[in-house]
Amino acid sequence: MKRYRILIVCSLILVAVSCTKLEQKWRGAIEQGQDIPVSDLLRSAYNGLNNPMMDQSRFWAAQEHTTDEAIGPTRGGDWDDNGVWRVLHAHTWNADHGFLRDTYRELLQAQYSASNVLQFSPSATQAAEARFLRAFTIFLVLDGWGQVPYREDLKDFKKFPKTLEGAEAVSFIISELNAILATLPDGPAYVANKDAARVLLMKTLLNKGAFLNKAAPTFDAADMNQVVTLADQIINSGKYSLANNFFDNFTWDNDVKSTENIFTLYNKDGDRGGNVRSRWFLGLHYNQNPSGWNGFTTLSDFYDKFEAADTRREQSYTGVTNVSGLKVGFLVGQQYNQNGVALTDRKNNPLAFTREVKLKETGANLEVTGIRVIKYPVDYTGGDQADNDYVVFRLADVMLMKAEAQLRGATGGAASALTIINQIRTKRGASSLAGPATLDILLDERGRELYWEGWRRQDLIRFGKFLGTWQEKTASDPKNLLFPIPSEQLAVNPNLKQNPGY
Amino acid sequence: MITKRLLTRVIIPLCLLFIAQTSLAQKTISGKVTDSKDGSPIIGASVQPKGGTTGTSTGTDGGFSLTVGNDVTALVVSYVGYGTMEISIAGKTTIDITMSADAGLNLNEVVVVGYGTARRRDVTGSVQSVKAKDFNKGVIISPDQAIQGKAAGVMIISNSGQPGGATTVRIRGTSSIRSGNQPLFVIDGVPLSGNSARPGSTGSGIGSTPGTNPLNFMNPNDIASIEVLKDASATAIYGSRGANGVVLITTKRGQSGIPTVEASVAGGISSIMKKLEVLDAAEYRAALKSYNLATGDYGGNVDAMDAILRTGFTQNYNASVSAGNENARYRVSVGFLDQQGIVKKSEFQKLTANLTSNFKLLENKRLGVDLNVFVSGTKEQIAPISNDAGFTGSLIGQALQWNPTHPLYLPNGDIWVNNQIGNTTVNPLAMLEAYDSRLNENIILASVSPYYKITNHLEYKLLYSVNKRVGAGKGELKRWINIEGIQNRGAAVLDNGEDLTQQITNTLSYNREINPNFNLNAVVGHEYMTFDNRSHGMFGFDFTDAGNLRYYDILQYSTQTSRGIYVNPGIEDQLQSFFGRAIMNFFDKYLVTATFRADGSSKFGANNKYGYFPSLAVAWNVTNEEFMKGSSFVNSLKARLSWGKTGNQEFPGGAPLGRNAFGQQSIGATNFANPDLKWETSTTINGGIDFSILNDRLSGSLDYFHKKTEDVLFEQVIAAPGPTGGKIWFNIPGNIVNKGFEISLYGGLIRSKDMNWNMGLNLSFLKNNVEGILGFYETGALHGQGISGATSQRLVSGQPLNSYYLPIFEGIDKATGQGIYSGGDPANNKFYVGSPNPTTLLGFSTDFQYKKLTLFVNLNGNMGHKLYNNTANTVLPIGNLGTRNVAKSIIGGAVKEDASNPITPSTRYLEKGDFVKLANATISYAVGKVGVFRNLNISLTGQNLFVITKFTGFDPEVNTDKNVGGVPSLGIEYTPYPTARTILLGLNFSL
Repeated sequence: MKRYRILIVCSLILVAVSCTKLEQKWRGAIEQGQDIPVSDLLRSAYNGLNNPMMDQSRFWAAQEHTTDEAIGPTRGGDWDDNGVWRVLHAHTWNADHGFLRDTYRELLQAQYSASNVLQFSPSATQAAEARFLRAFTIFLVLDGWGQVPYREDLKDFKKFPKTLEGAEAVSFIISELNAILATLPDGPAYVANKDAARVLLMKTLLNKGAFLNKAAPTFDAADMNQVVTLADQIINSGKYSLANNFFDNFTWDNDVKSTENIFTLYNKDGDRGGNVRSRWFLGLHYNQNPSGWNGFTTLSDFYDKFEAADTRREQSYTGVTNVSGLKVGFLVGQQYNQNGVALTDRKNNPLAFTREVKLKETGANLEVTGIRVIKYPVDYTGGDQADNDYVVFRLADVMLMKAEAQLRGATGGAASALTIINQIRTKRGASSLAGPATLDILLDERGRELYWEGWRRQDLIRFGKFLGTWQEKTASDPKNLLFPIPSEQLAVNPNLKQNPGY
Repeated sequence: MITKRLLTRVIIPLCLLFIAQTSLAQKTISGKVTDSKDGSPIIGASVQPKGGTTGTSTGTDGGFSLTVGNDVTALVVSYVGYGTMEISIAGKTTIDITMSADAGLNLNEVVVVGYGTARRRDVTGSVQSVKAKDFNKGVIISPDQAIQGKAAGVMIISNSGQPGGATTVRIRGTSSIRSGNQPLFVIDGVPLSGNSARPGSTGSGIGSTPGTNPLNFMNPNDIASIEVLKDASATAIYGSRGANGVVLITTKRGQSGIPTVEASVAGGISSIMKKLEVLDAAEYRAALKSYNLATGDYGGNVDAMDAILRTGFTQNYNASVSAGNENARYRVSVGFLDQQGIVKKSEFQKLTANLTSNFKLLENKRLGVDLNVFVSGTKEQIAPISNDAGFTGSLIGQALQWNPTHPLYLPNGDIWVNNQIGNTTVNPLAMLEAYDSRLNENIILASVSPYYKITNHLEYKLLYSVNKRVGAGKGELKRWINIEGIQNRGAAVLDNGEDLTQQITNTLSYNREINPNFNLNAVVGHEYMTFDNRSHGMFGFDFTDAGNLRYYDILQYSTQTSRGIYVNPGIEDQLQSFFGRAIMNFFDKYLVTATFRADGSSKFGANNKYGYFPSLAVAWNVTNEEFMKGSSFVNSLKARLSWGKTGNQEFPGGAPLGRNAFGQQSIGATNFANPDLKWETSTTINGGIDFSILNDRLSGSLDYFHKKTEDVLFEQVIAAPGPTGGKIWFNIPGNIVNKGFEISLYGGLIRSKDMNWNMGLNLSFLKNNVEGILGFYETGALHGQGISGATSQRLVSGQPLNSYYLPIFEGIDKATGQGIYSGGDPANNKFYVGSPNPTTLLGFSTDFQYKKLTLFVNLNGNMGHKLYNNTANTVLPIGNLGTRNVAKSIIGGAVKEDASNPITPSTRYLEKGDFVKLANATISYAVGKVGVFRNLNISLTGQNLFVITKFTGFDPEVNTDKNVGGVPSLGIEYTPYPTARTILLGLNFSL
């Protein structure tokens, strides 16, 4: 009897413990490899550029803070941020720099998002758009770090990516762009389009010498002629013209108003976008409208490159000045509200931005030092997401690249270059230059036209001036021509090696 | 398949082994149970034959009489507060039993071990038991707070002073980076998931608010004892969940006898334990003058900290009824706790109703059922205090830095919102007024456990449990508050969460003294658990004020484009386990414990579905050797040695598989396949001695341990290019080693009829080190004005976990008033400058009783570590002068700091964390019988009476969550909820 009972219990236990398979039960996610809508993936690929391009602490900071156009002064208790801004301007960064690390990672993430589209049977146009985005990110990383990790297998992330460098990377970009040019759509600007691919080709050809040897770039005449050819295709298309109001290119409805923009990143409240509003928040004082972060400024030497009549320097802008008293361009001196009442700082002193600024501000007026920059007219209409599309490529840049190529040996030469420069200057209200056009004049004009648009570091390197001295910066070491590969990536990818000098 | 093989090989032979069962004659045994202290009879103690099913309870004289089979060799005697004892009755017909309520080690006591019980003298592992009467007193919301400072090697710190706030519990140091370091809590055999259904977010605009303790649902008043399992011999039975140690909570049970009512009432007041020193209005004016600042004096005289604080009232009511006979016992209890925070508009309320019951069924009483139900509801109101507030701060920061010369109210009596200090300075009273956040969580933990005694020694037991938690949160921030992103908009949020854990456990246990020289206590079992956690919520902006309606009640009134929703659907995780343990006692001298557990988890990768966790331990009862016989000095002495492996699988489910997740109108990869992913393994070696000497006047334990954690789970950044936020879970190379030495001592200094004095001390020395990891990982985010993106800690080889990596501050330059740092610009010169891991833990308790008066005192402390004062760093810097307030300590020193000296994270704010705290002291008076009230007792308790420390923050017992990308931080203070000092008057009695 007892034996019988025990056996029953034992067999009951056996039933109770019959194996489960221990499989995951998914709910809010699907396993990779299943079909997902390609259009959403493509949208994700576009969105992938938002943060690394628009945030004030990413690619923009790497391209502008390291130059004579921008500085992030430490203002007593504000903006020390562990010295991250100071080391950018002073060229003393190292491989632990958090923002450079994040920029590198996010740009490569954008590359991945673009590549990912190609895995899921996109249409020919979708594939071309994705390949453009991928080529663009490779171009940006190549420019900053010289080494571009690239994954051929997007499924197994335990494998290490290979590294594209120098000539291999350049020819990859060029062959990709040529392959997709015919398939890309014609527009609008916030979609990868034929002209955007042409501009990227021009930039790749123009910077090819620097990509191969940043310390001593050379310029191949065939490449320069190719730049001119591409520029002419854009200029003569009739689709673009220099804007009547410079700042219309950057305003909240620039997708409608701008006649210059060729490639932009789309921003729309309630839809999608990036941190474009940081472009005004980071400079505006706390007591301005909107209440800003009282951070970055430009430098007086750079400001002084402008003529007083130059509309790019300062002007009132409808929808901004009448709302808050703010002007667009450069803010220097006493600031007013919309009723003309003079503003004060937090210590009740006049809110008057000084011309001069130091890397480390220690004076009693440290709140108000430095000339602030408002290139994007403030969007007062929306919520947290401003509607200003972020400008990547535009006509004036194309024209100045054509002029530069002509100064660097393309047909047309200095005379044509001067015509182009003066064409732009006239439109912007500045006086015509007598000439002859030189590379220095051209570089200055690029500064005046494209200030704070994220091209300055690339320009200074191409013109051999990046290691020089300017306000709050002494001559720097050649290692600084490339950013260091972030420690974070060296720890997880043995195919990367640290750039020389770091 | 492994299942069946295991079962056929283990269970069936075990079953067959004990079929040959003989039935023998019976005998009657009688005796008396008395209190060892004063010889008074213990009434209602349970007396049962060991392995038997029918027992009795003692009468009013403590006497009992029981008929048992001749094969019964021992009685099991138990009484609430006195524990459980096993008494040998071989060759005896009468026996007098003395039981002790002392916390000292009683080797005959029966202690709870995982999936069963064992005689303390048979235990080979490092187990520390804390009985209810030794719990910390006062306002205790969660069970872990009840044993703070009571167990060697266990660090328990409250992360902040928030009522019901989270605690950091570390048994023998921190052994994991990413996979959770809290121990496994097991309530009456039910392991908890550690999850909560309390929504995490409580409103936007102020950053993330601190979490609460998932154990809050327990009423500490319902707990009989807490056992802390520390070494692998004790924890290996919990396999892949045992690496951080295990805390077993045993709740109170009904006792045989007539219904007994126990009730307690307590009321108390709380106020801030320590205020930070900031300038008052007069000092502020003087400072403005000395810095030649023309502005910054607004003519008033206020103390903003006082304005947001209050005296909090606490009330706590508990009542229980318990009764039973040999066949059915129950205990029903209800409890209500209402603790007002010392910060206005913060409160914690808890209502609990619990039932524990036991039934013996069938004619032969071989079938029994345990049925337990814990029901609990918690309600919280949260003050606007966050872990990561930026420039505008959260409530505590706003109050600290409020300019003491600027009135908080306008002349017309309204709160001065848009103040003159500047539009980024927030009036803390306005913040309190604009913010409203309420959270609640309802929890049920129910278990039913039928068991059947197949023979007197063999028992089958089934345990089914369900733990369901549902939580809801709502929050708003009014549109008139001057916080960027909220001002002229307003924000509201509604969140919901739910958590479900289910468990089926089958065990077969065999416990028998096979012959006088061999006792076997064995258990085999199977367990299947599922874990399910999900949450969702919605939020909106852009409200207009409609009367005084809460925005969260009119969320639909928000603008369409500002709304958002989220769903965290979670993943159901499953865990299937097979385990076995044998505790063998040879000659009552030599003990061997062998444990094995196999865990299969859906969390592990396809290639490593099962993990195997063995342990082996030996112990030697030296006192039972011939050569020790007759020693009057040594009462007991046991040496223990154990080795074992335990695991940690507290990483998110789904980690081994690649998957795509859905965002707003987008879809993207969120996780990447690593089919090789497996649990993290800790190998622990433990050597220890338990002793009792001088007529059991002094007892204690010494333990040395070495714990090496390998296959460390870490969510590593994918080698770029990878997807956005792309990380992949790896078992990274490298180890974390914790080693240490623990001493527990317990002494009875005076033992007499009228006077008793006991003292307990535990001391632990811990060392933590990271070895062999590649590169480093940053954590310890710092927040506040001027240090965006700054971090303070690193995980790197050759240093303890969370080592500080900071510039070294050398002082203020006399000439410029600027800070000087080793090596120049602090941006490029950082060093490893210490660790937040305490190297010494101290717990001390004493109770002194004279006649009816008893005094209890509990002290605890942590030493040898450093704390980072993020509050001083960014909330009260010199640059505030002229607008906001500053720390008193930086004004009037020998060297004048220039007002422009930047806010630089450095060793200037790294402080010694050493502290000793008088955690609680109680005076109680046992009035005795008054009318119908029996055991009437009045007590007065003080909590957090004083703390000895050099740390300048609110409380050295602090751990603000400053993780970076999920890598946890330790030892950072950032404007936390301040710690309260509480005085509580209590009354308890029974009927």
